[in-house]
Amino acid sequence: MDLLFQTAGSLVAILALVGLAWWLKLGGAPLLNSDEAVRRAAGEVEDGFDPAVIARDREGLAAIARDVQGRHMVIKRHGNRFAGRVLDKTAAATLNIDLGETLLVVRTGQPLFGDITLAIDEPKAWVSAINGVKTPQDA
Amino acid sequence: MPDLNPTQYAVPLFVVAVLAEMIWAKFRAPEAYEPKDTLVSLAFGLGSTVAGALLGGFALTLFIRAYEYRIFDFGPEWWAVWWAWPLCFVLDDLKYYWVHRAGHRIRWMWASHVNHHSSQHYNLSTALRQTWTGTFTFGFLFAVPLVLMGFHPAMIAICGGFNLIYQFWIHTEAIKRMPRWFEAVMNTPSHHRVHHATNPRYLDTNYAGVFIVWDRMFGTFTPEVNDEKIRYGIVKQLGSFNLLWSVFHEWIGMLTDIWRAPWKHKLAYLLREPGWSHDGSRETSDMIRRRWQARVGTVPPQPASVADRNPIAGAQEAA
Repeated sequence: MDLLFQTAGSLVAILALVGLAWWLKLGGAPLLNSDEAVRRAAGEVEDGFDPAVIARDREGLAAIARDVQGRHMVIKRHGNRFAGRVLDKTAAATLNIDLGETLLVVRTGQPLFGDITLAIDEPKAWVSAINGVKTPQDA
Repeated sequence: MPDLNPTQYAVPLFVVAVLAEMIWAKFRAPEAYEPKDTLVSLAFGLGSTVAGALLGGFALTLFIRAYEYRIFDFGPEWWAVWWAWPLCFVLDDLKYYWVHRAGHRIRWMWASHVNHHSSQHYNLSTALRQTWTGTFTFGFLFAVPLVLMGFHPAMIAICGGFNLIYQFWIHTEAIKRMPRWFEAVMNTPSHHRVHHATNPRYLDTNYAGVFIVWDRMFGTFTPEVNDEKIRYGIVKQLGSFNLLWSVFHEWIGMLTDIWRAPWKHKLAYLLREPGWSHDGSRETSDMIRRRWQARVGTVPPQPASVADRNPIAGAQEAA
């Protein structure tokens, strides 16, 4: 019974603290709104990853990059940080048309990381490049 | 016999401290908190309390049995032997150092401990991001020598509780450095920020609980440098606020690897360091650090590889 009361009390405290964090507007919303921001985020995803080609989502919520070795990395905003994946053979890309705009959808092959949708220029070229990945070494 | 669970009594203190840090963050560093991340961290804390209450009996039973075979006997009123308390606290902290080091260097242990590192933030709520699955590792065995030395399991549990309480306050960016003498002996926010960092120079260092001297003694100490921004979390960030995925993702990954691996490599996926793979397709922390060193061409401010002297992980190269 004690455990039950403690759990209930802790739950109330948790919700109060999280509510306070929201009320205080903690967090923020960083954007991938420059190539430099993408480079910085890419280096955080994998130390030394040096993008040669970058495509940024128009709203700055995600980006895709290719390095000189032909490896692709997709980056998304996660909370007020960024998270990304170097794509391997389990990844796939498709096009999705929304409100007349053709969007790039990248599936990392990891369901809980989620699909990343990007509004970028020339999405078809990225689809071809990403779907051409066969092995992690080729990536 | 004392009946005390210090962490239970410290919970109100934790809540007030998190609240105070949030107010600090509001004015000084709003990005230090992310409400969804905080929710996951606090839910971790609550879940770990429940898991401990439900599953902790197994380790306690083992310790009570082992206590019957103790080498030294502090007598029926062992709690009245005053000097046994500080001695137990120091030895328990030494034990913590090794169990923590094993938690980073053995994937079976990491599957549980990774929970504590899964946030990309470093604040007081991160301290409460405790594992639910520690019972399913062999970490509790590290305390058996203390029991056999004659320290009562309750004394060890109380010392361990105070150890955990001490570690709470060091999970913050609000404090830059403590006085030099304090930094030399005690674990501090600066030392522990290094431990939570994914920057290659910092990976798998500063395992201390209370006394940083263990890291200095065993060659795993790395100081925080001022000119490099720390990135927190794990090498492969989760990118998800799903609580259950956060709790179990490494267990799922490890068991999947064991299932798929050739027979002769299955055990290695359990006992080798995180990131090890039989085909060399992944990177361990040592490999990441070496690649970083080769890239930047600098010598890190510590022995070339901490793990090269780490007896836990065994051989360092991927097979």
